[in-house]
Amino acid sequence: MNDQQWNTLVSVVRGEALRPLPTGFIIDSPWLPNWAGHTILDYFTDERIFLEDNFRAIRTFPEAIFLPGFWSEYGMCTEPSAFGAVSVWGEDEFPFARKVLRSPAEIERLEKPNPRKDGLLPFVIKRLKHLQPEIEKAGHKIRFAVARGPLNIASFLMGTTEFLEAIKTDPELIHRLLAIITDFLVDWVACQRESFPSIDGIFLLDDIVGFVGRRDFEAFGLPYLQRAFSADVTVKFFHNDAPCKASAPLLSAAGINLLNFGIQHTLAEMKAWTNNQVALMGNIPPRDVLADGTPADVTRRVADMLKGLEDRSRLIVSCGGGMPPGAPTENIKALISTVEEVTR
Amino acid sequence: MHDLSSLRQAVLVGDAAAAVSAARKALDDGIQPVDLISEGISPAMAEMGRLFEEGDCFVPELLMSARATKQIFQILRPLLAQTGVKSRGHVVLGTVQGDLHDIGKNLVAAMLEGGGFEVTDLGVDVPPEKFIAAVQNKQARIVGLSALLTTTMPAMKTTIDAFNAAGIRGRIKIMVGGAPVTQSYAEAIGADGYAENAAASVDLARRLAGT
Repeated sequence: MNDQQWNTLVSVVRGEALRPLPTGFIIDSPWLPNWAGHTILDYFTDERIFLEDNFRAIRTFPEAIFLPGFWSEYGMCTEPSAFGAVSVWGEDEFPFARKVLRSPAEIERLEKPNPRKDGLLPFVIKRLKHLQPEIEKAGHKIRFAVARGPLNIASFLMGTTEFLEAIKTDPELIHRLLAIITDFLVDWVACQRESFPSIDGIFLLDDIVGFVGRRDFEAFGLPYLQRAFSADVTVKFFHNDAPCKASAPLLSAAGINLLNFGIQHTLAEMKAWTNNQVALMGNIPPRDVLADGTPADVTRRVADMLKGLEDRSRLIVSCGGGMPPGAPTENIKALISTVEEVTR
Repeated sequence: MHDLSSLRQAVLVGDAAAAVSAARKALDDGIQPVDLISEGISPAMAEMGRLFEEGDCFVPELLMSARATKQIFQILRPLLAQTGVKSRGHVVLGTVQGDLHDIGKNLVAAMLEGGGFEVTDLGVDVPPEKFIAAVQNKQARIVGLSALLTTTMPAMKTTIDAFNAAGIRGRIKIMVGGAPVTQSYAEAIGADGYAENAAASVDLARRLAGT
């Protein structure tokens, strides 16, 4: 992300209504490698492909802000790998992490990993360190420390069904698990910030937050997100494209000031539920419109969405969730140009 | 007339011990197992489904209710077998090959069982041949395919094509679901139905079973 884009992002988070509205997308391995003509595994394992694919996106869509920007990731495997989870790879598939804990009782033996040494985490840092000179020479900086959120990591370590059941059957053990994970996340964020002093944002992704109601979010989500977001940075960015209604009123209490959410909810609903305290990034249907629609479909949906919105402060126009696999160039350009035209 | 209100309440709040206790009492009082399902479990799970669709209960609550019904069914299954009572239908369920997500499938399994269906849950990462074998072994008439990733969705079509190639596609109904799946996708791949969520899967299964 270059300085201008970062300043735009900060302006949005601070409540400015910009004209035209900015557009932005979370881009990562589900979309970027295939769009650029590479397999997902090549993207993960070849630093040149990783860098060139990111630069290609920037050159093709210069008006868009890509978040978090040069995201050094290994899909959902990144953080679970530090806990000893086996990562499952396919040539062109989303990687997956196998469970580590066979029962809630095994939480007692879980230890906090060292983000500087364990799993894939040193690879995450080293990849960016190797590429940092070229990234900065092109006028960009690493702006975000990135991680999956505490409930997401817990669901990979235990299994989603098992984790969500154990919230009810073994709450004390689940608190212990989330505490270990959050201690690790605080360390992992600090490690990334030490490695890249240009970082002034934290980006956490946690769809599992959307699976629980308000009371469970207050108990098992909010305190851990508060700690994970506790570092002194300007942008605290959260992704949850599962249902958000239960957690939305509490996100600012977690320190979150930017949210990318899913298509279950409208921008107007999210503004109301967050009391307009959290900047929003959304909300064109990713699969049905941005990926599978025509440019005309995209134009129509974007125009309709923006016409219906009275308060355009705290908004980055995007799709719901991250950039969907298969979203074609012409559709993305249609979104960007329509926003520019309708909101200038 | 048997009073199953305490059983229904126990299922609603996910109290497995109380649900099993209430079931045993009702059986001791002479209720037929099939009536315990239709008057006790099914209405309770239907209510959970309604609450879930309206955003008044969430996945952990649904899982706890499912857990309670599962434990009741452990008592009921042998009794149902003895009485020769048939379920609404047999559903073979699984997450398609290459996909290890199970939460959606698990919720669907729970709702279908609560709705009076017999369910064979094949788990995750299920290749087409395993679906076919299960259908043939269990004489199932409905297959449920779950996928949570856009990269694994194509395995739904692969599985449907495999049923065609095996010559048994015409004997079964295939329903699909999962976060990236849509009605139009279901139609495009030749599925017989799409369920937007676990609660909707019961109505869909009933329609497909003709019950």
